[in-house]
Amino acid sequence: MDLHYSAEDDAFRAQARGWLRDNIPRERRPAHGEAAAQFDRDWQRRLFEHGWAGLNWPAEYGGLGLSAIQQVIWYEECARAGAPHYINTTYVALMHAGPTIIACGTPAQKTFHLPRILAGESLWCQGFSEPNAGSDLASLKTAGVIDGDELVVNGSKTWTTDGQHADFQELLIRTEPGSARHKGLTWVICDMRAPGITVQPIRTMLGDAHVNTTFYDDVRIPLANVVGEPGGGWKTAMSTLAFERGTGFIGDQLALYERVNRAIALAGRTRLADGRLAIDDSDIAGRLALIKADTLAIKAMTFAQISEIRQGGNPGPKGSIMKLMVTSTAKALSHLVAEIVGWEFMEYNDDRNDHPLTYDYLWSWVYTIAGGTSEIQREIIADQLLQLPRSR
Amino acid sequence: MLLVPDASEQEIAATAAAFLAAEFPLARLHGARADHDRLGEFAALGWLGLSAPEANGGSGLGVIEEMLFFYELGRVAGPVGVLAQVLAIAAAGDERELCAALIAGETPVALVVQRSEEAGIRFVGAADRGYALEVTPAGATLFAVRGGDCTEVPCLDRSVRMHTGPASALEQRLHVAGDRLWYRAQVAVSAMLVGTAECAQDMTVAYAKVRETFGRPIGAYQAVRHPCADMAMRIEGARCQLYYAATALQEQQADARLHVDAARLLADRAAKANTDANIQLHGGIGVTEEFDAHLLLKRANLLWRLFGASQHRMRTLLGLDDAAEGLAHGEDA
Ligand SMILES: Cc1cc2nc3c(=O)[nH]c(=O)nc-3n(C[C@H](O)[C@H](O)[C@H](O)COP(=O)(O)OP(=O)(O)OC[C@H]3O[C@@H](n4cnc5c(N)ncnc54)[C@H](O)[C@@H]3O)c2cc1C
Repeated sequence: MDLHYSAEDDAFRAQARGWLRDNIPRERRPAHGEAAAQFDRDWQRRLFEHGWAGLNWPAEYGGLGLSAIQQVIWYEECARAGAPHYINTTYVALMHAGPTIIACGTPAQKTFHLPRILAGESLWCQGFSEPNAGSDLASLKTAGVIDGDELVVNGSKTWTTDGQHADFQELLIRTEPGSARHKGLTWVICDMRAPGITVQPIRTMLGDAHVNTTFYDDVRIPLANVVGEPGGGWKTAMSTLAFERGTGFIGDQLALYERVNRAIALAGRTRLADGRLAIDDSDIAGRLALIKADTLAIKAMTFAQISEIRQGGNPGPKGSIMKLMVTSTAKALSHLVAEIVGWEFMEYNDDRNDHPLTYDYLWSWVYTIAGGTSEIQREIIADQLLQLPRSR
Repeated sequence: MLLVPDASEQEIAATAAAFLAAEFPLARLHGARADHDRLGEFAALGWLGLSAPEANGGSGLGVIEEMLFFYELGRVAGPVGVLAQVLAIAAAGDERELCAALIAGETPVALVVQRSEEAGIRFVGAADRGYALEVTPAGATLFAVRGGDCTEVPCLDRSVRMHTGPASALEQRLHVAGDRLWYRAQVAVSAMLVGTAECAQDMTVAYAKVRETFGRPIGAYQAVRHPCADMAMRIEGARCQLYYAATALQEQQADARLHVDAARLLADRAAKANTDANIQLHGGIGVTEEFDAHLLLKRANLLWRLFGASQHRMRTLLGLDDAAEGLAHGEDA
């Protein structure tokens, strides 16, 4: 084992650091709405114009084709520089839709969509979950019926993050009448401007409305928009989910480290009700130390996973361990910070920029629910890593 | 950058695992008053001198290989005397004769776990012959033991012997200043703790597949499956951090201490929580003397008390000390 970066990687780090220093936006990202989406598009365009778009995309599709280790370096430098967070309205396009089209798309789909995604011209959303199909995604019912060279879609999707800004949607629907579970599903590219689509915001406890319910009323989608095989949508969808649980969160994994250090600094200057500094409270200090240890371990796990992939292994269910560990550590951290900050925490005005600590606290549940709940991650670990008898 | 064992490291771990599985099955610990350290067997295969310099009769390997060996030792709740021996060899340094005797396993070493003028001493290991080693953040001290002055006391972990005595029962033989051995000890004991945690997990998972209640294996119940998944998560985090820490220490990285302290914290947690869950998820059989689960619980209790000073660890991790500044300075601190 060794912790050395190659000279090439060191040079890459220096280059990334220099570029970020000179190019990260001076103004803050607006908290909500179209202004926030525009900020994300602009930042993506800037990355694109300077050759930093599509870190993990193969070069033949306009990406950088960076090694996993250089992706880690990039995200470390972003966290260090305080660059705009990559989990924003461009996330689904860059981290899900693009990679899925690269893996399963037709040449025409690639030619049309990939350059637009890289340049920040098109935003995407994900239409998988339904009111009655979340953890049990395979029970989804939104249906598409073939009519000539089109699919006619009826039904509804929910929790559509940033659906109000999206140009396109990754839509998973049932296209074989009477089919059950994983069979008979199809993954299609849905134009969010198509007639028959209604996007209805859902207000969340965070005080924003970044998720939506999407209704489909005789929405016509060309069959040419099917990605992968018609009826083979589950396979196409899994290539996306595996990605999300594997490497899709590298940036968040690494950003936790900076967050913990900021929390330690906060505890070092914040006085508790009894006048002592928070860091001098042994309970707070003990919990902070353990959270920091977990954060270091998450970094080490990232390196171990990358090393395993490089040696030809497949981290598989370890991605679920990672999601469980990252989200539970982030939750423990934001809850401890909530205890440290006292009454200021309560002055929340629904603006994440004004009250990031309260926002992080409220967000912690989104983290442990969206993208597969913690309970479902434990199920995957039990099934696939520990090979325990199935519970269902 | 590589954070999984390479081919030669894997081979060392596999060789250790095969030897330990064959010679030190957990079953050996039942009924035995104290597990014999059998240092000679470890010596014969070269394990004691694994990381001692070749000039001193060792194999000249490093912290990483040592960590992998202790991980495997932890998985079988192996003799704690081996840990004391390996650390004493490192302390003996260039004292050729002493080093040779220790590497040959002829002179056993106990671990001093408490020492003060008023309260006297406590050590884990045999009292009749040999040495006792104390490792603190300030330095490591090897003592000759006057066994006659000491009293054997019972130990919850029946596989080890424990003695108390007056401070005067120890006579200083050599002292190495600095925290170099302290951090080596932390890596080794962390490795044993994570090995113990993994053994507990394997035991639970194996039982969950075969024990049936209400017509189903208990491993199909989420109240059993989810604690098993948590065991796996604790091990994965602790193991990866341990790999990182051992490698950072081996390479004398500036933040190596920070990483070792984090590894130790996570190893403690994994061993405590996993040996606990292992008993709970076995039901009644889990609390019997006949079954193995209590052996791991008691071993974890011994290990997490070794090289304690969790206050020190917390401060390093929170950056409240400049202790994490750099190994090179610490060498002669
Ligand atoms: C803020 C937010 C954004 C989201 N964004 C998107 C998006 O953009 N696109 C999209 O498609 N989806 C999105 N989701 C949906 C998300 O993936 C689902 O909410 C999640 O998978 C859980 O499904 P559910 O809400 O239906 O809960 P349910 O599946 O009904 O679960 C309810 C509870 O039961 C538990 N549970 C369920 N099944 C089991 C089981 N077998 N064993 C043990 N426990 C179980 C769950 O862990 C949970 O605690 C988002 C969700 C949130 C909250």
